[in-house]
Amino acid sequence: MYRRACMGRYVIRRLIQAIPVLLGATLLIFMIVFALPGDPIAALFGDKRPDPAVAEVLREQYHLNDPLLLQYWYYISGVLFRGDFGVNFADVPVSQVMAGKFQVTLNLALTALVMEALIGVGLGLWAALRRGKATDTAILASTLLLISVPTLVTGFVLQLILGVKLKLWTGLDIFPVAGTFAGWRSYLLPGFVLAGTSIAYLTRLTRTSLVETLRADYIRTATAKGLPRRRVIGRHGLRNALIPLVTYLGADLGNLMGGAVITETIFNLPGIGNQLFQSVYLREQPVVVGIITVLVLIYILANLVVDLLYAVLDPRIRYE
Amino acid sequence: MEIGEPQELLNPQNTTETEGSEVLAAVFSPLVRYDENKQPVEEAAESITTSDSKVWTIKLKSGYTWHDGTPVVAADYARAWNYAALQDNAMSSSYFFGRVDGYADVHPGEGKTPTAKEMKGLKVVDDSTLEVTLTAPFSQFKTMLGYTAFYPMPKAALGPDGKVTQTFGEQPIGQGLFKLDKPYKKGTDQTIDLTVYDKFPGAKPKNWKKLQFKVYTSSETAFNDLQAENLDIHDSLPPSTIATAKSVLGDRYHDEPDAAVGYIGVPLQYNPEFKDPQVRKAISLAIDRKTITETVFSGTRAPADDFINPAIPGYRQGACDACTYNPAEAKKLYDAAKGPKTIELGYNADGGHKEWIEAVANNLRANLGIEVTPKPFEKFQGILDALDAKEYKGLFRMGWSIDYPSAENYLTPIFGTGSIGTGSNYGGYSNKAFDELVAKGDQAADAAEGLKFYQQADDILIKDLPYIPVYFYRSNFGYSSKVKNVKLNLLNQVNWVDIEKA
Repeated sequence: MYRRACMGRYVIRRLIQAIPVLLGATLLIFMIVFALPGDPIAALFGDKRPDPAVAEVLREQYHLNDPLLLQYWYYISGVLFRGDFGVNFADVPVSQVMAGKFQVTLNLALTALVMEALIGVGLGLWAALRRGKATDTAILASTLLLISVPTLVTGFVLQLILGVKLKLWTGLDIFPVAGTFAGWRSYLLPGFVLAGTSIAYLTRLTRTSLVETLRADYIRTATAKGLPRRRVIGRHGLRNALIPLVTYLGADLGNLMGGAVITETIFNLPGIGNQLFQSVYLREQPVVVGIITVLVLIYILANLVVDLLYAVLDPRIRYE
Repeated sequence: MEIGEPQELLNPQNTTETEGSEVLAAVFSPLVRYDENKQPVEEAAESITTSDSKVWTIKLKSGYTWHDGTPVVAADYARAWNYAALQDNAMSSSYFFGRVDGYADVHPGEGKTPTAKEMKGLKVVDDSTLEVTLTAPFSQFKTMLGYTAFYPMPKAALGPDGKVTQTFGEQPIGQGLFKLDKPYKKGTDQTIDLTVYDKFPGAKPKNWKKLQFKVYTSSETAFNDLQAENLDIHDSLPPSTIATAKSVLGDRYHDEPDAAVGYIGVPLQYNPEFKDPQVRKAISLAIDRKTITETVFSGTRAPADDFINPAIPGYRQGACDACTYNPAEAKKLYDAAKGPKTIELGYNADGGHKEWIEAVANNLRANLGIEVTPKPFEKFQGILDALDAKEYKGLFRMGWSIDYPSAENYLTPIFGTGSIGTGSNYGGYSNKAFDELVAKGDQAADAAEGLKFYQQADDILIKDLPYIPVYFYRSNFGYSSKVKNVKLNLLNQVNWVDIEKA
């Protein structure tokens, strides 16, 4: 009982700590977007010069003539007091712009995370148990390849081979080229592409971590006691080797959410990465800041979950 | 059908970019469309007549109804145009109405308040007749009327506050061939779904009824979808896909002149080093347009040889002598005219211009024996700001895509004296003889008569080279084996009526 109460306090404290982080992050992003060169209104007109009178009315409408801090106040007071994230330059509420998109990116990131955990940990285990043998070398070599090829390349190549050619050759439409029309199948290919480098890192991390653990004294003791190998590795080895892996996976969820820009563009997924890219390009402050705010929140929550999981894996860790 | 995400909600008077226009062209029927001879012919209009190019009488065809069933009347046009012109509404198409009498009252300019809500040049005579009076005669007015900004607006578009409602922007009520099935939620929806409007009085497609626009952020991805036959029409194939498109699509790949032009801009107003036309001519002669269009652009552009694009009536093949590649002559001219020893070439790094600017830089280095530095700006606006501030004195990359298919549109907005500061005359070119010829063309009794004067004005540009034309754009489009008869009109919009299911 004592332990649970302590944990609750810990969670609340962590969440309260998130408030200054959020305010700081939004202000910082606001300033960065503000500092981008070029006039956001002019950007709406492409290569043509906007009519000065029209531009003037629009600037007034979006408070662009006001000092930065006042603009920030308009924005943050709207968010805090009215839950209003403002509108983009097409007058569409930012909350509406974000709503459907986070779902898409979350689906994508979770697909990637599951693939990472299954493939990465699986391969890492396999390599660790066959350390120094041909399998180990092959796995290490292929992860190196995966790390060195840019996502852009893997994305387009896999899209062409599995999305286009496979359908033309076999008539089977297994991996959609673009969009989210095919339900969860839509996320398989982009999910793998997004997870690509992380799978490679996780494989290597699992392998190293497990190899280290298996060298530890308590493993030797367990083996000496005559426990079966499966039990030694499963209960004693893996459990301890998992701690760095959970840290990595937790932190990676945030990375995946933010890193979806390229993958979402290649596979035309209407997610948050795609939107963020376009909004930065158009200098839509409210949209950029809104997205970043939610991303920061997800980061904070993911890290909190990781910290809580620590204790489950290693009871020696206590919340303070 | 492939499109990029429309920039604004679907409101004709606020849409000046191609993606949104493509959708609106399906939902609305223009007063005029452009036929195979590139001439405007009446579509929603019964007749468009004038005796002096100043007062224009537009009679509407009967039988047109809004998608909610109410008949289309002349007042719907007056409502739309007045709305677009009124400064407070900040519509991006407002400048299209600059020639209408009374525009100055509703759109007095920065920092001033409009003194009227409606232009006195627009008069609703009866339900089917609209009389438009221009401030000065303009022979090309009829040609303009096919553009998005001139679509009508139903009464239902406006909310109680007198502004276009968001509901209308998401599901515009048009009077055209297609009706939107459901509101389009910009940013969320990946498709815009439409169905043929039963009561549309004009021609309808032969054997299909449903049209779907699919929103893509990457043109390459759309091309892959086209290859996999998940997409039927892709009308803006990017250069990187052209080689594949030709071999994969075969005769389902097309390329046609597109009305846009790419230039090297000259800061005449800010840098006296380029003042001598001979310097500009030498630079122009030193550019190997053929190799650039074939190699850098994989044939998706054509070498420019006039200020008017081949897609538009008035183009004359080979009109621009200085646009031929002649390095020897260039060097001689440049040395004689004592051109600057170092030149900067500004371009915006966000639009795929680096490669051709580098190529031009190499041409100039090799052929003129001078130092050339390409200078990337993050965005095009950065170049314009630097020019306005007189900080930047180098040459710059320029592009122009037309607003309406008339030769005049290549002249006034970019080279007219009146377009310095407010229009798109970024170089600050000013030539009285040129302005006069354009004005004569504007005042001509008809479009053909006007064209003669525009060509004379064009001759002055060819001699003066205020900008150096480098390439003409081309539209590269392809389609799946499921459809046939795909054609684009002068505005690069797909001609839906002709398409048949294969």
